[in-house]
Amino acid sequence: MSTLTLRQEPPERLDFLNVNPLSLSGLSEADAAKLPVGTSRRGLTLGDCYTISLDGSESLVIEGGSSRLDRVGASLDGGSIRVVGDVGQRLGAGMRNGSLTVTGSAGPFAGSGATGGTITVEGDAGDHAGGAVYAAKAGLDGATLIIRGTAGDHLGDRMRRGLILVGSAGAHAGARMIAGTIAAVSLGDHPGFGMRRGTILAGATGTVTPSFVETGTHDLVFLRLLARSLRPLSPAHADLAAGALKRYSGDLATLGKGELWVSAA
Amino acid sequence: MAAWVKGGATDADAAVEAAATLLASARTPIVAGLCAELSAVRAAYHLADLIGASVDPVAGPALYAELGPLSRTGAMLTTPAETLGRADAVLIVGNAPWERAIVQEIAESVPTRGRAAGAERTLLSLGGTRNGATRHVAYPAEADGLAVSVAHLRAYLKGHLSGETAYGDLAKRLSSAQYGVVLYDPEELGELGVEMLQGMVKDLNEVTRFFALSVSDPYQGRALLQLSAWTTGQAPRVGFGRHVPEHDPWRFDSARQIAAGEADAALWLASLPAPRPDWLGTLPSIAIVGEGSPEATGDAAEIVIAVGVPGESAGGSVWNDRRATITYAPASGQATALTAAGVLAAIQDRLVQKKGASC
Repeated sequence: MSTLTLRQEPPERLDFLNVNPLSLSGLSEADAAKLPVGTSRRGLTLGDCYTISLDGSESLVIEGGSSRLDRVGASLDGGSIRVVGDVGQRLGAGMRNGSLTVTGSAGPFAGSGATGGTITVEGDAGDHAGGAVYAAKAGLDGATLIIRGTAGDHLGDRMRRGLILVGSAGAHAGARMIAGTIAAVSLGDHPGFGMRRGTILAGATGTVTPSFVETGTHDLVFLRLLARSLRPLSPAHADLAAGALKRYSGDLATLGKGELWVSAA
Repeated sequence: MAAWVKGGATDADAAVEAAATLLASARTPIVAGLCAELSAVRAAYHLADLIGASVDPVAGPALYAELGPLSRTGAMLTTPAETLGRADAVLIVGNAPWERAIVQEIAESVPTRGRAAGAERTLLSLGGTRNGATRHVAYPAEADGLAVSVAHLRAYLKGHLSGETAYGDLAKRLSSAQYGVVLYDPEELGELGVEMLQGMVKDLNEVTRFFALSVSDPYQGRALLQLSAWTTGQAPRVGFGRHVPEHDPWRFDSARQIAAGEADAALWLASLPAPRPDWLGTLPSIAIVGEGSPEATGDAAEIVIAVGVPGESAGGSVWNDRRATITYAPASGQATALTAAGVLAAIQDRLVQKKGASC
């Protein structure tokens, strides 16, 4: 297991796009220390900020995170990264495979454009978790994003594929959703605003927009399958899917093939 | 012309020297505001490139509310002149557009060319004013805001909702227009609302001709957007920390950077009127502001330099709202010797000299 240990709070935002098990596997510790991670003219390197211990394995532990640590695990294509602490924006953005775990909280755009693998945030996530960055066609795109705490607004904005499982989230969860599944204990106002397809499951929501219509209660095989797939990740969310649910269809302002399932209890 | 350093009046050369010294020692400076003539905005981008600063215009929220949907789904837009000449139905969304002169022009004219020539013009409002000054048919907004209202209306237009409701009636009026235009303020409507509105316009074009006309922000955003594009190839919020212009609207949001303690120096450029940011003066700052403005005082920032105001005491290329393009505004009175572009170029020259001296 390779380890990076933070010396002190970074003096500027750091970009960890090129810090992952694969990129470090062929480097000596001295070479790894020269990797540029700074974002200012000062040219900060990995060795300026972290004590480095490498063993060439597929597991990397970052001891000591920071809200200034951007793009941790971005474009990850295998192996695992565990961050003990917080991370900044774009955690696991564009990730294709592997496992990414953050014991603290994540900044905005966690999992944006991620097509595979599993991202777990044990704390909270900022706005646009699983959402699309500026000019991107899609947010989460096939990966699994688990947020044990609270996510901000615009969770899964323009999400295209995959699963987001979250404790609670703010307004506009699943906005402009193209497809995929969001499961949450509670969501804020206007879930699914502008969604075309996809499934949102919530124990409770804020105001539902008038361009969603209630279509009654249903006992569908799909819901039992959903509950089964959620149980290994979170029994609470699986119980939600297995319970009595009201179905809303929307967003009728767009394609209208999305569905919002809200606990009827 | 006037200049101050740490509250004391001084001459422009001393202020330029102090500004160069402040920026030379900064790790992550920001250049913000950019409510100015184009020559000054161009000089600001060049200075930011030299010092590795990030750039964030005061017009950012309005610009990005429009740019987000434009970059992902496109837009169907028209101009004020086409609206006045062709539209037989104009829907005004929200309150902000009512404060613009074009509303009165629309209300006082009729279409004179195109398929609706000679027809009456109907003025409709969604969630806007109900004042009696301008004759219009008013439809109330949803309690949850304009974006939700537009979504509700669009559901009727698509035929996914139906019934004898106010929005059902509005949908019929829009569909029956020969050449319709919807006027809105992107900042008031928000990114989600703009995207929903643009989608509605595209839906309407399945049955008739319909376009959107967004009112421009009052802070030169549309002009600097073009300059940013031709200078950096990017939208305005860019950072030059890594020697190439990186575009990131979240990372280079100046208010966020300052609140997070990421910026250690700031340059505020506003030769035209712009709201003074809360953070000005809370970190080492340089303010290049229009002479006679409220910010042209010694306590506005560590270094303050008053410069000519385009269209008044200086000439400059600025956004022309009525013509929807950049035009040159000559000085209306006696021109001052000190321009914002000149000051920024002087700071850049001093920085280059300092850099050369340190080698």
